[in-house]
Amino acid sequence: MEKLLEMAKKVCDQAEVYSYEPSTSSVDFENAKLYDIESSIHAGVSLRIIKNGKLGFAYTRNILNRNEILQNALDSLKGKVEAKYDFPLTTEISNLKTYDSSIEDLTISRMVEELSRISEQFQAKTDAEISLYSYKNIEKIRVMNSKGTDINSKNGGFGFYLALIFPGGASSISRSQSYFTFKKTPQNLVNEMIEFYNRSKKVIEPKSGKMKVLWMPGSMHTLTWRILSGTSAKSIYEKISPIAEKIGEKIFNEKLTIHDAPLDDKYPWARAFDDEGVNCNPLSIIENGVLKSFYYDLNFAQKLDKKSTGHGYRTSRWGGEAIALKPNPNLTHLQIKPGNASFSELLKFMDKGMIIEGAMGAHSGNIPNGDYSVGVSPGFYVENGEIIGRVKDAMIAGNVYDTLKNVVAIEDTLHPSWSGRFPAILCDDVSVATKK
Amino acid sequence: MFEKLKKILQKVEADYSDIRYEQKKDCIITFNGKELTRIGSNSTDGFVVRILKDGGLSSVAFTKETDADTAIKSALENAVLIGKNIKKPIQLAKVPVVKETFFPQMNEDPRKISISEKLELVRKYNDIPLKKEKIVNTNIGYVDTIREKYFVTSEGSEIREDLITTRVGGMITSKEGNLLQNIRVSSGGSDGFYNVRNQEDNFANKTKLVLELLKAKPVKAGVFNCILNPSLAGVFAHEAFGHFSEADIIETLPAMRQKMEIGSKLGSDVLNIIDDATLPNQLGFYKYDDEGVAVRSTQLMKNGILCGRLHSRRTAFEFNEPISGHCVAEDYRFAPIIRMGTIYIEASTPTFEELLESLQDGLYIVDAKGGQTAGENFTFGAQYGYVVKDGKLAGMIRDINISGNLYQTMKDIIMVGNDLVLTKTGGCGKGQTNIRSCHGAPHILVNNVVMGGV
Repeated sequence: MEKLLEMAKKVCDQAEVYSYEPSTSSVDFENAKLYDIESSIHAGVSLRIIKNGKLGFAYTRNILNRNEILQNALDSLKGKVEAKYDFPLTTEISNLKTYDSSIEDLTISRMVEELSRISEQFQAKTDAEISLYSYKNIEKIRVMNSKGTDINSKNGGFGFYLALIFPGGASSISRSQSYFTFKKTPQNLVNEMIEFYNRSKKVIEPKSGKMKVLWMPGSMHTLTWRILSGTSAKSIYEKISPIAEKIGEKIFNEKLTIHDAPLDDKYPWARAFDDEGVNCNPLSIIENGVLKSFYYDLNFAQKLDKKSTGHGYRTSRWGGEAIALKPNPNLTHLQIKPGNASFSELLKFMDKGMIIEGAMGAHSGNIPNGDYSVGVSPGFYVENGEIIGRVKDAMIAGNVYDTLKNVVAIEDTLHPSWSGRFPAILCDDVSVATKK
Repeated sequence: MFEKLKKILQKVEADYSDIRYEQKKDCIITFNGKELTRIGSNSTDGFVVRILKDGGLSSVAFTKETDADTAIKSALENAVLIGKNIKKPIQLAKVPVVKETFFPQMNEDPRKISISEKLELVRKYNDIPLKKEKIVNTNIGYVDTIREKYFVTSEGSEIREDLITTRVGGMITSKEGNLLQNIRVSSGGSDGFYNVRNQEDNFANKTKLVLELLKAKPVKAGVFNCILNPSLAGVFAHEAFGHFSEADIIETLPAMRQKMEIGSKLGSDVLNIIDDATLPNQLGFYKYDDEGVAVRSTQLMKNGILCGRLHSRRTAFEFNEPISGHCVAEDYRFAPIIRMGTIYIEASTPTFEELLESLQDGLYIVDAKGGQTAGENFTFGAQYGYVVKDGKLAGMIRDINISGNLYQTMKDIIMVGNDLVLTKTGGCGKGQTNIRSCHGAPHILVNNVVMGGV
């Protein structure tokens, strides 16, 4: 890596070498039985160079030939992709807990034993089809650039994903959790899933109409995806954000506070620096309903005459390899501030309505505009503050900028979910379409 | 390369093992609006080893050759661990030993086209929408992906095959006041660069539509009888039905497996569905899957009766059904899983006009915009549509998302048209992305479709 950076520095104005080495093992139980164990050991390097304000970009798995990757980057300079930003000089980074060495000693057979134990409990107390997954990941990230930045981090985590599938439907109740190293699955989580499952076995067909809807952490991506789109520097620059001019304005209900918390190292995968070597910091997106900030990487910050907020990540919505992706603005540690209501209080506030346990099709529809129209997968129908059954064929539709004006109450607990940690959120006046 | 791979496999003491080495070459060009944001060609590579030992099957992927010993050790341990923890040992269906090198025929090999020619072509397409007022943004790109694969098994198979995929397209966004609308545009294929040429009309047509969408009315929530165009009906064949023809999905879902028993009458009499990745010149075309099995044309449904399934060697043995050659990986980072190749609803005789005449009042909905399933329930978006009144297209509608139940919808497909179209670009996500995922259908008429509205 050092040699590659030296070589690149000689032929261009600025250079950056990013290396990423993830290793993963995963255990998969399907239909309550061990089905698969997979592992991978990967390494890769990505090179960005800037010359006369233009960007060169290349990547490889094995630096067998430094000249080749450098030549690929130089060749791509010819396309004249604009890059007027400077790579940062980052010498000091926050000292975060990101790794616990005991994860190295965690054996696959211990992970298999734990999933067997959980599987037996689920089998004894439900008639669900049981799908369980656990993993251990260790990754090394290093960012070096011609300004003198050379920072690295080692991150590790153990986690699981448990699902109780309604037979025939494949819609499920699922919960996930992650830790720095192995932990037994909390019994209250297992009990909660069993109770939920058994309370919602009966299929209910409610009538179409507007009703109270409780967004569970597992369906929250329906809403956060649209907020991520609206507050990204990329959307602002491309003029496709409907809230581009609304900084300082109240756009959501005052109960809602949303922030990005990359330095929160109570949980695994905290980040001291982003994938371009910029220091990470907490960022307030929405405070008491007021739009506070957009999020920036180096590229879009320069284009919009702002500073990077440390949100340049080599991620994409649809997987892809970190080394093969250019950094783009992303919020990877999103949190919604918990409210005061316990889960059972939320059900009481709700009186009558639908819990959206999972959502299908959150990725389709007019996302920039904030519109959503998703299938419930499943929904739980609530009457008199109690779950009376589950809903299969129903669609929930609206616009995030309307829906989140109508927040009734927010749960007092954070749950991990896709792209962040969220409490359940109760909203009023959401449109539900069914066959009735 | 084969010698190197055989040497690695020789170290494995197991009942069966295979190794795949791939070099993956990408050329990517992306425009966001007027700006070129990415251009370049790159190459990456890696290995995947699978080991069957003592009734357990496990895989490991690695990128450094020096990691081979560590990788094999963990795959062996994991295979044995699986064997110990399951009652019924995993076995693989028997398949012929194959030694073959297969390079698909190309109409203009993208590897031989200069990157500057590719750039100029994309720039030309990108300029088509950007010339119009009210087009605020585009995300238009070109990608070619080349997988150069080497595959060796302990049974003696040695297969060399290339998969070469090209695509051009992306998203066009229009805006009026606060209203944003977008539309997807794409073309591509598996047999050469010619697939991405001459797309000017395609880009102009989609630009026109996304501008018209600014005037379209949001669809009302409710239940409608609908004509689905080939793109959308193809998504139904793929998402709602196709995934449950993948044996690895239903293998571990007992209730679904019972419903999807071969011989069950699940659809209406007019419904015939097939997966045929042997169709030449289609996006889904390949010769051998990533277990070295030659892909076969597989009839899945005939006159509404389930009659076949897509298999890996593992599931073919488990179900005691014929192998089909559908176990495919995204690239060297993954062990293969069961994937559809070219799945489509077979054409019947009615014309589109006859479908409209039969519908009388309802909706005509056009072009897929993402779809997802959870068991028997599915949700799809459509890019745009029209109200149908007295058998004629009336006003344009937008914000279309439908949901339904697989079994009910298969019965509610009451007419299948005569105008089969197969997709030219794909991107099925099932843990891994399959860019060769190809599907299609003629126009179909479906009763009782739930529309989400906005």
